[in-house]
Amino acid sequence: MQIIQTDLLCIGAGLAGERVAIEAAENGFSVICLSLVPARRSHSSAAQGGMQAALGNSAMGEGDSPDVHFADTVKGSDWGADQECARIFVDTAPIAMRQMAFWGVPWNRVVPGEQTYYKGGKPFTAYEKPENEGLIHSRSFGGTAKWRTCYTSDGTGHAVLYTLDNRAAQMGVQVHDKTEAIALIHDGETCMGAIVRDLKTGELRAYLSRATLIATGGYGRIYRESTNAVICDGGGMIAALDTGVVPFGNPEAIQFHPTGIVPTDILVTEGCRGDGGTLLDVNQYRFMPDYEPEKAELASRDVVSRRMTEHMRKGLGVKSPYGDHLWLDIRHLGEKHITTKLREVQEICESFLGVDPVHQLIPVRPTQHYSMGGVRTNKDGAAYGLKGLFSAGEAACWDMHGFNRLGGNSLAETIVAGMWVGGKVVEFLAGNDTTFNTAAVREAYEKQAARINALIKGSNGNENVYAVRNAMFDTIMKGAGIFRNGTDLTESVTKLQEILQRARKVGLRSNGLGANAELGLALKIEGMVKLAQCVCYAALQRTESRGAHTREDFPERNDRDWLNRTLATWVNASDDLPTLNYEPATTVFEIPPGERGYGGGKIIPMDNPPQATPAGKKA
Amino acid sequence: MSIPSIATHKPVVSCKCAAYLDWLQMLSGACLILFMWAHLCLVSSVIIGPGVMNAIAEFFEVTKMVHFGGPVIFMVFLLHFVLAARKIPFASKQQGVMLANAKRMHHTDTWLWVVQAVTAMIILIMGAAHMWVVLSDLPITAQKSAARIQNGLWMLFYLVLLPMVELHVGIGFYRIMIKWGIIDSKGRFGFKKKENMLTAIMIGIGVITLLRFWFLAIK
Amino acid sequence: MARMLKFNIFRYNPQDPTSVPHMQSFTIDETESMTLFIVLNRLREEQDPSLQFDFCCRAGICGACGMVVNGRPGLACHTKTKDLPEEVTLMPLPVFKLVGDLSVDTGTWFRGMYQRVKSWCETKKVFDPSAPEERMDNALAEKIYELDRCIECGCCVAACGTALMREDFLGATALNRVARFMLDPRDERTEQEYFDIVGTDEGIFGCMGLLACEDVCPKYLPLQDVLGRLRQRMAFAAVNNILPSFLRKEVKL
Repeated sequence: MQIIQTDLLCIGAGLAGERVAIEAAENGFSVICLSLVPARRSHSSAAQGGMQAALGNSAMGEGDSPDVHFADTVKGSDWGADQECARIFVDTAPIAMRQMAFWGVPWNRVVPGEQTYYKGGKPFTAYEKPENEGLIHSRSFGGTAKWRTCYTSDGTGHAVLYTLDNRAAQMGVQVHDKTEAIALIHDGETCMGAIVRDLKTGELRAYLSRATLIATGGYGRIYRESTNAVICDGGGMIAALDTGVVPFGNPEAIQFHPTGIVPTDILVTEGCRGDGGTLLDVNQYRFMPDYEPEKAELASRDVVSRRMTEHMRKGLGVKSPYGDHLWLDIRHLGEKHITTKLREVQEICESFLGVDPVHQLIPVRPTQHYSMGGVRTNKDGAAYGLKGLFSAGEAACWDMHGFNRLGGNSLAETIVAGMWVGGKVVEFLAGNDTTFNTAAVREAYEKQAARINALIKGSNGNENVYAVRNAMFDTIMKGAGIFRNGTDLTESVTKLQEILQRARKVGLRSNGLGANAELGLALKIEGMVKLAQCVCYAALQRTESRGAHTREDFPERNDRDWLNRTLATWVNASDDLPTLNYEPATTVFEIPPGERGYGGGKIIPMDNPPQATPAGKKA
Repeated sequence: MSIPSIATHKPVVSCKCAAYLDWLQMLSGACLILFMWAHLCLVSSVIIGPGVMNAIAEFFEVTKMVHFGGPVIFMVFLLHFVLAARKIPFASKQQGVMLANAKRMHHTDTWLWVVQAVTAMIILIMGAAHMWVVLSDLPITAQKSAARIQNGLWMLFYLVLLPMVELHVGIGFYRIMIKWGIIDSKGRFGFKKKENMLTAIMIGIGVITLLRFWFLAIK
Repeated sequence: MARMLKFNIFRYNPQDPTSVPHMQSFTIDETESMTLFIVLNRLREEQDPSLQFDFCCRAGICGACGMVVNGRPGLACHTKTKDLPEEVTLMPLPVFKLVGDLSVDTGTWFRGMYQRVKSWCETKKVFDPSAPEERMDNALAEKIYELDRCIECGCCVAACGTALMREDFLGATALNRVARFMLDPRDERTEQEYFDIVGTDEGIFGCMGLLACEDVCPKYLPLQDVLGRLRQRMAFAAVNNILPSFLRKEVKL
């Protein structure tokens, strides 16, 4: 067994992972990032839109402040967010953006004078102040009172990730790419690293670390139709859930993005609508103002996705061989705007659809996009249940997004939480030592080696891993799609129990040698089905509608009974169902629960509504 | 590490040789291109009449430009070969890699490089032979040239050398303009088309000139 | 209407002692809006689960799926089958180390490149969290982003005759990276420091101008123009001190 030792092991080398890694490296600790793919191919790079931070430099962002940002975030979360984390986030975000500018991100900047922008498809002019010339500009995103999304054309994630990885390379952060952490090494109390499969050779190694960070992004790939990269299969969450002690926070909080293209499910950025793109139905009628007179296409994602589904259910969707869809119209923005500010969008349409958005409509439908849930951590990013285990970014349930996150908040979260949690990891590394328990290491290693052996030999059975995955896809979409109800969810939970049994009987059809992808999937299919079950089971139990979680049979938001966070653990590996516990959504109420101002819906109030706590104070 | 780092470090003074050599390669190439165009214009004056060509030749003879310029051009020719040959692989494995790449990619510009490399070798031998024959039998006259060409074998020799030179010159011209950023990507394909036409015209003029020599009555 | 497509795919698993490099044929029925992403995943799921290839974002953004499609390096995810003939040959990218079948190790190559060209903003300044950001002209930011759009797919390197012959050649992607930092006022490197990195035969003077990089780049980066201006800039940087003043030139990228 080859053993590699380091101070900090980051599982995942996207924005969150690398930002934490840099913080540790700058403070003199050794860091290794594991990554399924070369770091810059991480899914962070695909985020087109931008990062929210209340810099308030642009004309339409004037008067913005962390407080306004905070209010937008909490409302967006439908009060599911931990308000302490949301506060840390909004206060730190402007600094984090400036730091990224310092490191080299080519943020778009304020151009002074009269500028033409679009809102709701109509052009208007705004006067950019000359004294702000050259400061970081911002654009509009859904669910925000001010324009505060910092951006780099429409490749923000790409530009920030490249800058961050440059910085990581400069600081000597090691990235072991094409590796996959398949299990955590722990003794039930302390995390000591991970067992890692090398995806170049198939070799198994042990990485020992004093601190371990899970930053593996979301688990969108438990859905068939997802905008996520194919690597976003929740690997980190699976490893955490497998420990039996680390809880999966709010698994049911899944966001659907309004504009995934049909049929390839590739995302076109919210920036399209932010810049004035509109949604049309089969009659090319703009329907969103009928549902949301104030915000129209720019209401928060859960609302737009739901309204689109509602409209298609009325039979007003466009029929296609791949199911119903609607149209996204950006033609009126003009060729110049599309070819400069929305170039990636144009490329995607031309390369994957053969559609020219300057002259043609784009077929879109709501598609799984983001997982608000993840490894539950405290506000320092330390995971519940295991000492020395941290998590940040989409993989974590830190939890500033609650039941719906705003566009531009997640990309910002990666580097803001990365910066914050990085600081806490540094404190931890400076103040804690670990004893590596060699028995635990060997046991973890041998357990994984035995699993691989069993899969290759087919000693558990001969289930086809792809067939099992397909069954899971069908089942989760039926139960835990955009609209959910008790009947379908119950059916899905039962079915997923059967599918879990099948997942435990998978055997390989190929020889499993080297960087074998079938083996890679077989190693995590059981975990993926468990994640799917957590989503469905938690969604079944949550008898209310909050944010992205919409129950047709319980349409009201129930603050009386459900202003809390689901904590799912898989106590025994052989269990059929997760164990669900709940904790209050937040202990601090800067803003007591109230109306979001969009999305409609009834609210069942709390019996004893809390008083607003001033910023930063404990309740 | 136990290795003394001074031994593995780059020299403190940075070397600018690569830049100088690249300048020289480009300038010598540009010189030869200009020379070849001028050369063809001068020689093709025989089409108008041997008298015109003789008059021009005499001008260069009287001004001693042939005696001085001839060897200089020959030196530039050799210099250019040595400089450019640095880029042509000598090992057959690398040659194979390059050829396989051109074949696989169906990429014109890569093929053009192969043409450059092949024509360069042919020009090195045939061009040297040509220069030797001409410069060792000065002065140049239409009559002497005609006599040589009507020998038959020399006609064949020039029918091979002419397109080799014009292709090499044409592609070289295109390459310099592209490599040195004088023509930008918008102008690339238009320029390439014009350059191809120029090469075709040059070969045409060359062939007519050769035919004129072939049919020139030798006094 | 539906065509049967024949795919000749390079197969070799270096980790399998019984495996030898060979070409294997697969046939598959074409469906609407089919891309190589769909084809390869279907082949793996339906015909041969041992087939190795890389995809990640499958949206042309991450650069993971570079491979040689009918002779030309390109991104598999945005290659539509309707643009291909009935018989298609798929090979792994050359230059990079083979992982297996169509999968190559670009990560190691690129991380080496970052160190060689110091792919970061070299500055002596220290970040001040309380200060507003340094101002930058928006047009300049857009110009930097234009070159920062490289997705490190490796196609330009795999298509480059020079890179194929000489493994020490930086390649268009690295030269473009240096040009990106030259544009950036936050990078405080001197002309001499840049020259030491790219003013060499492994750098810009090794480029033979074959332009395969420009022609295969899936992101349509302006590589021809970048390389041309970089050559001019480095060439003048080398001779400006010996040229008479009227011939000197400060080349802008």
